[in-house]
Amino acid sequence: MSATPTTPHLTHLIKRSDYDLQEAVRLNRFAGLWRMITGYRAHYIWAIMSQVVAVSAKTGTMVLLSFLIDDVLSRGDVLSVVPLVALGFVGLATIEGSFTFLSGRYASQTAEGVAYRLRNYLYDHLQRQPFSYHDKQPTGDLMQRVTSDVDMIRRFLSEMGTQIGRILLLFLVNWLVILTTIHAGLGLFSAIVVPIVFALSMFFFGRVEKRFEEVQSQEAKVSTRLQENLTGVRVVKAFSRQNYEMARFDEENAKHFQKNNNLLLMHSLFWPLTDLLTGFHQAACYFFGAMLALNGDITPGQYIAFVGMVVYIIHPMRNMGRLIVQGSQALVAYDRVVDILKHNREPLGEAEAAPVETVRGAVEFKGVSFEYERGLPVLKDVNFSVKPGQVVALMGATGSGKTTVVNLLMRFYDHSAGQITLDGVDIRDYPRDFLRRSVGVVEQEPFLFSRTIRENITYGVGRKVSDEEVFAAARAAAVHHVIESFPEGYNTLVGERGVTLSGGQKQRVAIARTLLKDPRILVLDDATSSVDSETEAAIRDAVKQLLPGRTAFIIAHRVQTVMAADQILVFDDGHIVQSGTHAELVEQEDGFYRKIYDMQSRIDEEVEKELGE
Amino acid sequence: MSDGQRFEEEEFSSQFNGSTVMRLLGQLRPYKLQVGIFLACAIGVSFMESYFTLLSKQIVDDGIVAGNADVIGSLAFRYGALMVIFAAMVFFFIYVCGRLGHQVQYDLRKKMFEHLQRLSFSYYDRTPVGWMMSRLTSDPERVSNVLTWGLLDVTWAITNILASLVFMATISWQLTLIVAAILPVIIVVAIWFKQRMLVEYRDARKYNSMISGEFNQNITGVRVVKSMRRENANLEEFNQLTGNMHRSSYRAAWLSAMFLPSVQIISAVAVGAVAWFGGWQTTTGALTIGGIQAFIAYITFMMWPVSDVARVYAEMQHAIASAERMFSLLDSQPEVVTREGSTDPGTIKGDIVFENVNFFYDPAKPVLKDFSLTIKQGETIALVGATGGGKSTIVNLVCRFYEPRSGRITIGGQDYTTMPLDAIHSRLGMVLQTPHLFSGTIRENIRYGRLNATDAEVEAAAKLSGAHAFVSSLESGYDEEVGEGGILLSVGQKQLLSLARAILADPEIFVMDEATSSVDTLTEALIQQGMEVVMKGRTSFVIAHRLSTIKKADRIIVISNGEIQEMGSHAELLRQRGYYYNLYTQQFRQELERSYDEVFNLKASERDLEVEAERASA
Repeated sequence: MSATPTTPHLTHLIKRSDYDLQEAVRLNRFAGLWRMITGYRAHYIWAIMSQVVAVSAKTGTMVLLSFLIDDVLSRGDVLSVVPLVALGFVGLATIEGSFTFLSGRYASQTAEGVAYRLRNYLYDHLQRQPFSYHDKQPTGDLMQRVTSDVDMIRRFLSEMGTQIGRILLLFLVNWLVILTTIHAGLGLFSAIVVPIVFALSMFFFGRVEKRFEEVQSQEAKVSTRLQENLTGVRVVKAFSRQNYEMARFDEENAKHFQKNNNLLLMHSLFWPLTDLLTGFHQAACYFFGAMLALNGDITPGQYIAFVGMVVYIIHPMRNMGRLIVQGSQALVAYDRVVDILKHNREPLGEAEAAPVETVRGAVEFKGVSFEYERGLPVLKDVNFSVKPGQVVALMGATGSGKTTVVNLLMRFYDHSAGQITLDGVDIRDYPRDFLRRSVGVVEQEPFLFSRTIRENITYGVGRKVSDEEVFAAARAAAVHHVIESFPEGYNTLVGERGVTLSGGQKQRVAIARTLLKDPRILVLDDATSSVDSETEAAIRDAVKQLLPGRTAFIIAHRVQTVMAADQILVFDDGHIVQSGTHAELVEQEDGFYRKIYDMQSRIDEEVEKELGE
Repeated sequence: MSDGQRFEEEEFSSQFNGSTVMRLLGQLRPYKLQVGIFLACAIGVSFMESYFTLLSKQIVDDGIVAGNADVIGSLAFRYGALMVIFAAMVFFFIYVCGRLGHQVQYDLRKKMFEHLQRLSFSYYDRTPVGWMMSRLTSDPERVSNVLTWGLLDVTWAITNILASLVFMATISWQLTLIVAAILPVIIVVAIWFKQRMLVEYRDARKYNSMISGEFNQNITGVRVVKSMRRENANLEEFNQLTGNMHRSSYRAAWLSAMFLPSVQIISAVAVGAVAWFGGWQTTTGALTIGGIQAFIAYITFMMWPVSDVARVYAEMQHAIASAERMFSLLDSQPEVVTREGSTDPGTIKGDIVFENVNFFYDPAKPVLKDFSLTIKQGETIALVGATGGGKSTIVNLVCRFYEPRSGRITIGGQDYTTMPLDAIHSRLGMVLQTPHLFSGTIRENIRYGRLNATDAEVEAAAKLSGAHAFVSSLESGYDEEVGEGGILLSVGQKQLLSLARAILADPEIFVMDEATSSVDTLTEALIQQGMEVVMKGRTSFVIAHRLSTIKKADRIIVISNGEIQEMGSHAELLRQRGYYYNLYTQQFRQELERSYDEVFNLKASERDLEVEAERASA
């Protein structure tokens, strides 16, 4: 066997990534795990079988040793048989080593393969969950499940499973050999402490686990305190609170020290205690074994083999507690992962044909109602109709239902009553995939990914895009010169490891992104209040580039944006309270719209007044 | 070299740096006794383990083969008796060594934390928080492990190998030579494996954190993913990542599965040689049966100390890299320090004068150029102007978070670099744009301003700042927890609390950076009121965003490109029809437009009231 590692063959592992893990869900834990490793079952069985061979070879070494001593050395023809025995030792060790390796290899192939498949599946599963799922799941909790819980399952398969198997096999094989070939009484005697060691180990690791968790949570406290200090360094310095902070940090740090020592105490008691137990037991085994040998009940060779084997039935048992405690944690991790798998994906209908070939952009809401939570309607009997190419402004306070209209249009949620049609066809007859391709959204605070600016702009385009196209989109969105001003231009990373873009810049990158997607229907959350006037003008120009030839919904925060719209819908508490053009709405004296408009026209007057003072 | 590379986590130099190792060992200097105890125990344990094998040999040779039952009894007894000492030593080395490890970790953390408190802003400006966090969280643990357990394991391993060789030599020196010849091969192979494994594990960890990052992004950005229909492309990209992760972690697992068997097979060659040569020796009587048994036991056990040495060797490299990063933190010198011969004037009430101050963060980009300004004691200054113009720099210089690169700043006529740092910092009050609170109760957060304040004083400050109303509406009032970084409170509430904190501190200079994010009207009014209280009679600097604040200032300074563009009162500046005029009219427009939302919100709150009234009547 060569010691040089070669790249393992991987291709045959990857093709199984299409296995539907949801099938593994509905059974009990062990059956579920068994289904989860579909495709690797043979590997896993191999891993365990290899352990059987390896453990037997190890015991075989002892048997060979007793043969060497009893049958070779004490008889004549030493010189002809000894070399064979020597070869036998090397051969057995090679078998043991090879099969130990094979077991490790097959177990990790299973574990890594299953983890790999599971990660991909969970990733895809999560991005295909409906919004109603994401609304309820805290990100931190999901992250925990898809990272550390998956890793727990991986370790269960690669380490705990095979190690528990190995310990049991070591016990069984060696004990059986002692019982059957050496001396039954000695065999029974040698197993006396096994249940005690096992019980002690379970008891101990159950407690260790609790203390370990205390250390972990204290560690988290230390890092929280540290993080707060580092991020609040201005406050610390401004109040000259360095000494106070040191004392506060020391408090947690010292607690951490203490809890670590509590944990340590357990370890420093357990190991010597079991050493003592197994040591006394070993001394007794030596004594009884040697006495039996002296009386001729067993041969010296058998005695020596017994001494070698008895170690393997007791010592490994000391780790059983740890493995079982960790194993039960892995099962909890399995439950938490399965909990994600239980939820069904939102069908996107990628393969389905849409009822129309190209979207013209006529949208109609007929008596549409919707509630995110039962009993709390956010849209109530909403009616409006938009012709292709029209610009519709949605106005209203936060929570009045504007954003919900958009969510329903893209089938992020399904409306609970009424009908929504696109080009005269009920939107439920469109595959979600088609709808989402046809509608483009620029959000108020757009989310950009930690990728390069170029990758962000081309994010929604499912094809190769030339630099010219990207530049053109960025120019139209009035962000090209900003990007060019970065040292790395379009290859600048966005976010923590790269540049931090301002709100206005982010929004313009998002506009460029939407321009490239080229949707028939456009939704724009117009939030320019946090940018300076120059940027505001630039964004306004960029938006103008977007509008021609598209049906546009603008979630507006200012009258200025709204005035040119073909239709203005004013929302309040889930109802449309006013609708019409600017000219029409200004006429309605008691309406919301008029109030806002009046406020605007007062501005100039007030500035003049101020100057006059 | 970009910062991204400079703060790369997993880089480490492949060679040992002698001075780093010495400095690392220096961490153990105060604990010589403990080190002595656990090393002595390790040597004792290791020696005894080798001796037990010899004992076992004697039972065979002197007991069984010689047919002497008394010898068996006494040897078994000796084994049991020695076991008691052995167990006691095991207890001591685990406890003493583990405790010392925790102690070193504690010490390193404490040392670094205290050093961080002394470092100036310039350090914080160029060092990512995450980087500093790792220095104090994972590095000390890694280093202390190698320093204690690593030292212990290596001592144990070397003693074990040496003692075994000596015992073996007493049995048969020829066989010992065979073992000694194979030993270096095993060590080299073991070290080679451990190093390769470490590299693969490091790669796997790197991919693992990339996978976490990608998961996080996809969950938080799921809205964009869905509306852009990126699911398929994302999965394909993610598959690349998980594929890489799979490759390196499988390789690591493969190597680690290969490690022990390889060592085992090499030592089996030694076992074979011993059986062959030893078997032949027994015929001449040069070797006993027990001797063969002992040799085989010694050789098969020897892979454990060898693999320990290899592991520690590999971990050592990792730990040295950690140590280098920690030492780089500890070696950074604070830029702003109390100079020798500083005198505390007892107060920093007085005029603040900038005399031809030049300042830059980065020498290539000057921020303030030949800047001069006089601020009268008790004056309220509103700083306005575009982001990056230098407003915050002026404030940072006044607070002496930075010092002028040239020129000087005097307070009450005394160059402030001749005052102790604490003389200035302990007399400042500050409210930040994104107010920072510490986890703990509201009371604790306000008390941060003056640690010996009574509960009554805390509440009085809260009342003055306008925070009292919302605090008393909370379930546990002043004992309500604010959450990590104050996450359980709104921005407006956090700002009210930090005002209360500043009021309690009773500062001589007050600095405020107004929040740009919108705060509801009521809270905003409260904040204004609180600001007035704290600014009364104190020299105050406000980086202002709200008209009402600006208008109330004694002097408005428009800063642009590090220079004073316009300066004067509100009325004066308006008449100039310059930058301030434009800013004012534009801002005015925006503030009025914002009140458009209030038309709705007012309606909404009326409705809420109605609903509540209905509920109450029902």
